Amino acid sequence: MFPTRFRVRRCACARGVARRSKSVKHFRVSGEGRLGVGPIALLALCLVTPGLAGAQDGGREGDSADETVAAASDRDPGQYETAIKPLLERACFDCHSGEYAEGNFRADELDADLVDGGDAAWWLEVYAVLSKGEMPPPESSDLTGAERVRIVDWLSAEIQAAEQLRKGRGDRSSFRRLTRYEYNHALQDLFGVPWTFVGDLPEEASAEDGFENDAESLRMSVKQVEAYRRLAAEALRRVTVRGERPPLKRWTAPMEQAVRKAGPDQAPADRSHYLDLATGARTKMDWRYVGAKYAFAPDDVPASAAESSLPEPGSHVAVVYPGDRRAALTVELGDELPEEGTLRVRVRASRAEDAGERLPSLRLDFGFQATNEGASLERASDRILSIDAAHGRSKVYQWDVPLGELRHRNAYRGETRLGDQPSPSEFLRFTNATRERGGAGSDSPAILIDLVEVTAPVYDEWPPHSHRAVFPESARADDETAHARAVLESFMTRAWRRPPAARDVDRKLRLFERLRPGCDDFQQAIVEVLATVLSSPKFLYVLAGESGAPEEQRGDRLSQHELATRLSLFLWCSLPDDELLDLAAAGRLDDPEMLRREVDRMLADPRADRFAEQFVQQWLKLRPLEYLRPADDGLDEALLDAIKQEPAALFGEMLRHDASVLEFLDADYTVVNERLAEHYGLPNVRGDRFRRVPLPAGTPRGGLLTQAGPLTMNSDGTDSHPVKRGVWLLTSLLNDPPPPPPPAVPEIDLSDPKIAELTLKERIEDHRNQAACLSCHQKIDPWGIAFEHYDATGRRRELIDGEPIDAASRLPSADRLDGMEGLKRYLIENRDDQFVRATVENMAAFALGRRLGFGDRAGVTEVAQRVRDSGDGLRTMVTSLVTSELFRSR
Amino acid sequence: MAFHLDRLDRRRFLRGSGAALALPLLGSAPPVVAADAGGPDAPKRLACIYFPDGVPMPLREDPAFEDWSWFPHGAGTEFRFTKCTDVFEPLRNDLTVLSGFSHPEARKVHGHRNADQFLTAARIRREGAYENSISLDQLYAEHVGDATRFSSLVMSTDGGTGTPRNAQTISFNRAGRAIPAERSPKRLFDMLFVKSDADAARRLAISESALDDLLEDAHDLRRRLSVEDRGRLDEYLDSVREAERRVQKAKRWVDAPPPAAGRPPVDQDLSPDSPREYVRAMLEMIYLAFKTDSTRVATYQIGRENGAGVSDRLARAVGFNLAHQLTHDTKRPGGWKNLGIYCRFLNEEFARFATRLKETPEPSGAGSMLDNSLLLFGSASSAFHLSRNYPLVLAGGRNLGFKHGRYLNYSGADSIRGAWDGGPEPYSRAITNDDQPLTRVFVTMLRQLGVDTDRFAGATGDFPELLS
Repeated sequence: MFPTRFRVRRCACARGVARRSKSVKHFRVSGEGRLGVGPIALLALCLVTPGLAGAQDGGREGDSADETVAAASDRDPGQYETAIKPLLERACFDCHSGEYAEGNFRADELDADLVDGGDAAWWLEVYAVLSKGEMPPPESSDLTGAERVRIVDWLSAEIQAAEQLRKGRGDRSSFRRLTRYEYNHALQDLFGVPWTFVGDLPEEASAEDGFENDAESLRMSVKQVEAYRRLAAEALRRVTVRGERPPLKRWTAPMEQAVRKAGPDQAPADRSHYLDLATGARTKMDWRYVGAKYAFAPDDVPASAAESSLPEPGSHVAVVYPGDRRAALTVELGDELPEEGTLRVRVRASRAEDAGERLPSLRLDFGFQATNEGASLERASDRILSIDAAHGRSKVYQWDVPLGELRHRNAYRGETRLGDQPSPSEFLRFTNATRERGGAGSDSPAILIDLVEVTAPVYDEWPPHSHRAVFPESARADDETAHARAVLESFMTRAWRRPPAARDVDRKLRLFERLRPGCDDFQQAIVEVLATVLSSPKFLYVLAGESGAPEEQRGDRLSQHELATRLSLFLWCSLPDDELLDLAAAGRLDDPEMLRREVDRMLADPRADRFAEQFVQQWLKLRPLEYLRPADDGLDEALLDAIKQEPAALFGEMLRHDASVLEFLDADYTVVNERLAEHYGLPNVRGDRFRRVPLPAGTPRGGLLTQAGPLTMNSDGTDSHPVKRGVWLLTSLLNDPPPPPPPAVPEIDLSDPKIAELTLKERIEDHRNQAACLSCHQKIDPWGIAFEHYDATGRRRELIDGEPIDAASRLPSADRLDGMEGLKRYLIENRDDQFVRATVENMAAFALGRRLGFGDRAGVTEVAQRVRDSGDGLRTMVTSLVTSELFRSR
Repeated sequence: MAFHLDRLDRRRFLRGSGAALALPLLGSAPPVVAADAGGPDAPKRLACIYFPDGVPMPLREDPAFEDWSWFPHGAGTEFRFTKCTDVFEPLRNDLTVLSGFSHPEARKVHGHRNADQFLTAARIRREGAYENSISLDQLYAEHVGDATRFSSLVMSTDGGTGTPRNAQTISFNRAGRAIPAERSPKRLFDMLFVKSDADAARRLAISESALDDLLEDAHDLRRRLSVEDRGRLDEYLDSVREAERRVQKAKRWVDAPPPAAGRPPVDQDLSPDSPREYVRAMLEMIYLAFKTDSTRVATYQIGRENGAGVSDRLARAVGFNLAHQLTHDTKRPGGWKNLGIYCRFLNEEFARFATRLKETPEPSGAGSMLDNSLLLFGSASSAFHLSRNYPLVLAGGRNLGFKHGRYLNYSGADSIRGAWDGGPEPYSRAITNDDQPLTRVFVTMLRQLGVDTDRFAGATGDFPELLS
């Protein structure tokens, strides 16, 4: 039987408990929610008249406004009272009126004015349930087909008119501060270093149904203001340097030296060991912290040594097998590693003589052990290297680790002497992270290392690039004030994304002069001033209306600079680069062809990875995966990493190839790495890199629905959770979220033997049969049940407790879903419009940095239509959106 | 950055302990004013004092059980202290002894590594990446820290931060970073009562000018915004103005002379080589800081876990050599008594500190200082290196609603006892009876201190049984 953990009550509350009160309704209406999508697909088909579409294409807003005014004037305000309300009264008011209205929805209080009234969002819901036949409940209604059509016709005309009338109203604002991740990326791009600058800046408390960059939800507090000032000053101090280039040290650790430290114990062939290449003798590869006996001492070397060639191979190699601590190679470096700068790690390595097809993976950790318990170990780099060098043909592999990014350093450095207790020493650890497979294959996954070389602090130039990003050479001047002015002008132009006004620079210069006497030197004072440039609202806030050039812009069109900013926030999650700014300054972003070219250029840039990561994570609401703990949740670390990356990897692949967005629903390929391929039972995928893998016909994967991430996230930890999965599908993919559960949902009584005997599906059906639950669950459950062939971590299964799985269900519309295959087929055949439109809506909300409102509906329709007309490509969607009126307006 | 513990200069100390960093910078009213305030506004204080290595837990049949057990015999109001704890007898009605509490995430952690999470309740694995979370004291300091010159005092005998899993501080900031602890009573005294802070004054002047400038930037931008957008920017403006107000308040601290605390209680800097005097002087610093309302939050880690630091030598106060060794020697004849004598020394100094507070009337006039100060005293080990059933004393805070004179025993009769004499250590034993989550006590403490919360470290629930 199913685990007793299953509680339908919890599942019903999968999206959090919402109170059944007026406030729910208020919230939905005032924010106008995310557009309910159910009806929209239909609207897209039946409402876009050729005339209107043409008006929008040509951007002739004046014309279209005239037309809509004409259309609006045709509206008969009396029609509702005389022809529609009586129908609603008969069909709806029984349940949906008065204080205790069903579903917290009062049809009797709806304001029939969709243009100026506050109930437009509710009307969209009404439109959806009526046109889909979900309401009124068929068994208890005598609403005839003709009557239903009459309401729907009236409503669709009203919605259409309201859309057009509300479109032109400037009641939308994209003015907002940067999100935490945008701020981080902006500083990274400004200084040209991939470091973390957000420190203890609080995570965004984003609304559950919105994107993190939603203008309305981004608040500001005194704590944040203080944090921004502190973080900016810290960032500036980290990226700038003083004085002469610090001397370079080099640690050279050939294995013939390491073996001498290791002592005499012999090792079995199947454990990591040092191998004497001449004699074949195997020495145990142990390491102990006490006394720092294993530490290598550094040499002082000239700056050029960071690039120099390595010494010739020696007499020994370390044979490193997969496994943690004991199996890994630890290279201890003593207590002289610097605080800042780059730690360059070079390793000469190859695969084993008897290596098979698989490429072993090498991971780099940094750590220390001061006492028996006082120890730290952290990833020194996210990059796990695939060792592809054949035996006998070693290659040099390299990591560059920014020392300032390490979270923990040994606090006893400078405290105790090397060799004393507690030990002040630090080490690097090389772990063979290749996943071991069951069964004794003859292929060795070992990694052979003959030399480790470490240099620090490496600076490719002095002063480093990041320093020169703040203090350009050209700004040098003998006169401090002139120097300060030059630094400020250069920095402010880049940070504020436009040349600063003279008065802005003058003000900062005055601040410099005020601060200078209290500071030790020029650099200290100017860093304080630059910190205010980075905590100014002119840096932290974007898309302020620019009243500088109101005449040349019509209505709520974005200025060129704003357009550049919106574009870079959308595709790079950061501020515009010089090219975008130049184009904006030259007024060339008006040209759709130029916008298309810029989109291509930006998507080809590595910074576009941020778009895939952030948009996909927020769109699919993948954040809960961050809270999983590998050991507790039945996932190893490599698998958890992989399932978190998979959705963005698929997105990136589809974006590159302009694949049809319907491939999110089903595809004949998947994008996986070795660990994930193993999870899915796909053979012959080697290494940690994600790549496209064709799926043989009949393979139950492809698209988002069968990815392990969403499936795991929408489980309860032990088993699948059909209700969560149904809610997720409706909310994230179809943009048609079911209403929140009512407060008094009866808990399923698992002590009742009758209930305990039911299968999960039967239990859900039983739950659904309770009146309080029926209306929502008949909309949710059928979707979720179709996922039943996938377990708690997304593996395919054919049996549950020895019984075949029944994953068939029926939608309220009476369409039948037959398991995952049926679900995918149904979505592609029947919900393609809805899905494309929903994806446009999600992407538009992310791109605009604000919630969509009623006035955006026409714009969304236009983009969705263009995407559909040109083959549903994902890249086409991005381009269509960027060149649309919607994107280029406020 | 390496911490040079012996040279831990004042600025770094301030940056670390102050408060969480915001330290002398943020204040609301000079101490004199606070001291004049009326009864209902009497300051609410929190001090957490930690000792390592656990306490005597002889087996019931052991002859030392009756005399040298740390936990009292009996329950509720009907209990009697042992020779180890009889120094608490005069404070009987000002304290509660707790048994059967621990942090659920730490119950299987070895006792050599459990000080890090005593005040944080974090889940810290034995190996690999180390993540801690905010400690009880710093959470309260966030709430009350700007009411005083120093938002908190962070002290330990060993000083600095130590390393992950072997902390030499029990205070952690919101990002989970260890806050370096001060170990010199003289430097503490100088900081509290002697020096004015030129560096703080300089930084405040910079802040003041910078905030002015930001305000101008904001006004400048605001002029160009639509009405709706202005509303959004006003949130920024208000925040900058609030930051300015905080700087103004902080300037008053810097400008005001340090409060007078009389003659320093120590003429030269004491070290743990004079163990009893040293521990007493450290606790005296908390007393003086509280009395002058220089801070309302303090932590003192009497010793780090597993010896290996200067704190291990505190056992010399009662004629032994190393404190941690005493816990291992409980398997030898007389071992329980020896550990008991050492614990009695710590108890005695804690009791002395609590008595000082009790004998000092609250400057604002409501009862004694102890009535307005909540003191948590304890360890994260009980029986040999076992991170369950923490030995805990909660003292003071009567005016905050705490009820005392009781021994609340939730450990039941079959708590793990006895010395370790080889074989698997007690900490690796299966958990048979769940302790109460200590986070519930923390939640009740925070609430009574005025922090509106229903959870600590993500765990909900409180412990109203502690209240009258």
